[in-house]
Amino acid sequence: MAWRDSRSQRLRLLVFSLAIGSGVAALTAIHSLKEGIERGVGSESKALLGSDLRLSSRRKFTDAELSSLGGESVALAQEVSFPSMMRFSENNGARMIQVRGMAGEFPFYGEATTRPADAWEAMKNSNGVILEPAIMDQFSLKIGDVVELGETSLRVVGVIENPAPRGGRFSGFAPEVYASLKDVERTGLLGGNSMVSHQVHLKVGEGIGGKDLKKRMRSDFPDQRWRMETPEDRQENVVGALQKFQQFLSIIALAALVLGAIGVAGAVHTHVRRRLKFIAVLRCLGCPGQVAFGIYFVQVIILGLFGSIMGGLVGILIQTGLLTSLGSELPVSVKIGPEWLVVAKTVVIGFAVCVAFALLPLLKIRGVSPAQTLRNAGEVKSGLFGRMLVGFLLAALLVLAARGSDSNWARAGALAGGLIVAFLALAGVARLLMLLSRHLPRNRWPYLLRQGISNLHRPGNQTLLFLLSPGLGTFLLVTVLSAGSLMNERLEIKRSAESPNLYLIDVQPDQIASVEEVLKDQGLPILESTPMVTMRIESIRSVAGKRVEDLPRWVFRREFRSTYRDELNDTEEIVAGSLSTGPVDPSGFVPLSLEEKIAGDMGVVLGDELVMDVQGIPIQTKITSIRRVDWSQFNLNFFMVFPTGVLEEAPGFQVITTRTPDPAASGNLQRELAKQFANVTAIDLTQILKTVRELLEKISFVVSVLAGFTLLAGIPIFLGTLLNGREVRQRESVLLRTMGASAGQVRAILVIEFAVLGLLSGLTGVLLAVGANAALAISVFDASPWPDSIITFTALATVTIAAVIGGMFLSRGLTRNSPLEILRNER
Amino acid sequence: MDLSLDRGDTLAIVGPSGSGKTTLLGLCAGLDEATGGVVELDGEDLGPLSQDQRAALRNRLVGFVFQSFQLIPTLTAVENVLVPLELRGKTGGRQEAEKLLAEVGLGDRLKHYPLQLSGGEQQRVALARAFIHQPKILFADEPTGNLDAGTSGPIIEMLLRLNREAGTALVLVTHDPALAAKARRVVTMSGGMIVSEEVNGER
Repeated sequence: MAWRDSRSQRLRLLVFSLAIGSGVAALTAIHSLKEGIERGVGSESKALLGSDLRLSSRRKFTDAELSSLGGESVALAQEVSFPSMMRFSENNGARMIQVRGMAGEFPFYGEATTRPADAWEAMKNSNGVILEPAIMDQFSLKIGDVVELGETSLRVVGVIENPAPRGGRFSGFAPEVYASLKDVERTGLLGGNSMVSHQVHLKVGEGIGGKDLKKRMRSDFPDQRWRMETPEDRQENVVGALQKFQQFLSIIALAALVLGAIGVAGAVHTHVRRRLKFIAVLRCLGCPGQVAFGIYFVQVIILGLFGSIMGGLVGILIQTGLLTSLGSELPVSVKIGPEWLVVAKTVVIGFAVCVAFALLPLLKIRGVSPAQTLRNAGEVKSGLFGRMLVGFLLAALLVLAARGSDSNWARAGALAGGLIVAFLALAGVARLLMLLSRHLPRNRWPYLLRQGISNLHRPGNQTLLFLLSPGLGTFLLVTVLSAGSLMNERLEIKRSAESPNLYLIDVQPDQIASVEEVLKDQGLPILESTPMVTMRIESIRSVAGKRVEDLPRWVFRREFRSTYRDELNDTEEIVAGSLSTGPVDPSGFVPLSLEEKIAGDMGVVLGDELVMDVQGIPIQTKITSIRRVDWSQFNLNFFMVFPTGVLEEAPGFQVITTRTPDPAASGNLQRELAKQFANVTAIDLTQILKTVRELLEKISFVVSVLAGFTLLAGIPIFLGTLLNGREVRQRESVLLRTMGASAGQVRAILVIEFAVLGLLSGLTGVLLAVGANAALAISVFDASPWPDSIITFTALATVTIAAVIGGMFLSRGLTRNSPLEILRNER
Repeated sequence: MDLSLDRGDTLAIVGPSGSGKTTLLGLCAGLDEATGGVVELDGEDLGPLSQDQRAALRNRLVGFVFQSFQLIPTLTAVENVLVPLELRGKTGGRQEAEKLLAEVGLGDRLKHYPLQLSGGEQQRVALARAFIHQPKILFADEPTGNLDAGTSGPIIEMLLRLNREAGTALVLVTHDPALAAKARRVVTMSGGMIVSEEVNGER
């Protein structure tokens, strides 16, 4: 019976069931990817770090420390890494690279692969350097060419294919260059270099956990402030970052799923309403309410199964497609193939959500009385109890579905709740817009316009559902794109001449004059020239580092690069106390100015005493002012500012900033500096920001694709509601034709109807997105709350045009129907 | 067949289902194209006209009343009445529309939507709509087919009265002999042919 009953509506119902498919597809793809990557990370966690423990420090490990560390481990490897300039004598080029000087058998786990395969060994035997393919391309280098690093010339022996695990900080911003530690020492770049990170990689063999290893190190070397990282830490970092991203994507996928389910419920609602007479006839013939209900329930189950399974299959396609295309960019190797368990789970969830939503309209069937055959009783209401039960079921299901992406029940509940709130907001905005469109039109407006707008309010037109479907997709896409443009805006260096885009660091005191001379020769401004001294915190409020329990450990391990000056620059202001100037009373505390945020993180306030360890010499300081710094300007700013007359004799270096008009000028300067001052590192901010922007683009691409899924989920709903309305539109068109409307007039009314429909659904999404964007701009980005007008107007125009094209396509032939049909259809 | 109708005259077409009543009506009203022969409305041959030209002609000359009322659900009563004028691009017929609605007894339901009106009331709105543009001929297809006896009586009275007052020719298609008897001429059809014609007295 269920099958026979669906006969005339089968295609239409299947179109709707595809709506749920796209939600299931997105969920399947995301959860499968997550599963695969997590499994990869789990089985390769040691390969992620390359060792059992990584120790890193700004200071060189002493021979005594190395031998003692060596005694506690099976194998030990050393590494130094720092940014520096590399010169390419072949074509007179230069650029900043990240040097990695290697000694020992690192990585102990996993493998660094090169082309040719024996290049890694050759590099370690001090036969030359290994470069990244990108740099080879940029400077048209080939294996065997000679490059210059500091005071030495080195031959290129190979190209890296799979890099050795990195230290994490400041990596990825500059291409890596591998050389043996011995070669790096010969460059002369290690002395007086403030950016060097010294690392020791340890292999300790089986049976010792990461935590125990760290504890042992702390007790064996109580005075060291090494940063320590174990495979477990690395795994947590990778999984944690992944988790957040994946949760965000899951929300979008869930939204697509719910949207799809609402679409199916809408379709079932229309279907049931069409069948009310038939159901009443069945009841007259003695069919119990449950059986009538059963007929349609079976139909819903088939629809849900069809949609979910299709979605699962598409999800597998997407997941394997993504893995194939970006497999090499993932941190671990992931097996390409369906994750059947995940697929099964998401298909079941999608099916359950779909059926649960469809229960709402189905409940009405039980309330259909046989008397309906005799008179039209209008809307049939379902019982309050039943509706509440279904409501609870739905909420529970949503929480369950949300828990698929977050194992914490409370957070899953919050996620489901957030989703419900988002849908309510969407529906609220849509309703409001519909209300406006009903009351706004005036009698003096042209008839075609009024008729087109009033068509939205046809009984049973499902306008709300229509507004929701592209509305949600538009909302998500516009929000994602606007957030992306907000981020990009933050990464844009201000076009003003005072904002630097090139930093020269590690300029030694005796080089300052000559470096500034080079800048002048090249016609570049010296924007800032500031001394910098590195130091650590020894104690806070007379309590020494290791004994302060309630402070994060980084406070004492962190190396602060501080400056001394007697005035503020343009991008900072005093928010508490006052800036002290030299000369300083040699017997008392040195007045110190701290940046607002770091003071908060360290839990210190005005008047607190800090003892600073300036490269072995303790200096007693007292916080006398707190500064607020606008970091977005990229000017030289410091967490700690000392008055003059204290640090002048401490070993330090100068940082000089300038602004280059174009990459060519920047390249010229870098080349000249690299030739004359090998130890000076030029950091080109434009280049770094470019790297960051490229990364953000990749992320926002993935997010946009996912947000696109909600649009995809909207398409079947869009088509389905239009198909549902086709008969009514046809009747109206024929009626108008009979009364003398030209084909053009009928078409114009349809175009207006679809355009208003599209415009309203676009507005629904855009209004919410603008709200979300304003909230983001104010709370997170500290930017103007006004939306990007290009994005919003493009979105509005696209949705409107798509609605008109889609609507007119599905309405083709309506104006060609002979008006005679109006008489025929009567009977 | 050969059939002509004078200005202001009334004609009923009766006959069993499938006898060709609707086809004849459709041809006369220019809803359908004749494969042979000539259909003239107000002296104009419909044959060479395009769909849109025929639509414009209908808009000028023809009024319709249907069995199932055929009101536009999204427009109020008075807006429904105005549609034929609006399609012509004419504005400002509102007073006339309100007057017509008052004549059919709906003066207090101008702003009601079709769903808020009973069947009889909807058909009265349809009547007002049929006369708003002062057509020369009115086609009524089973105008009381969906109404009960109590409601259909007044509707027929109104139809005939408006017809008389406006001097419109009326073509009625009906199964109902009582209704047919109210027309001056009654044509009976069968198998696509006119099998008999009765004339009920003078005009």
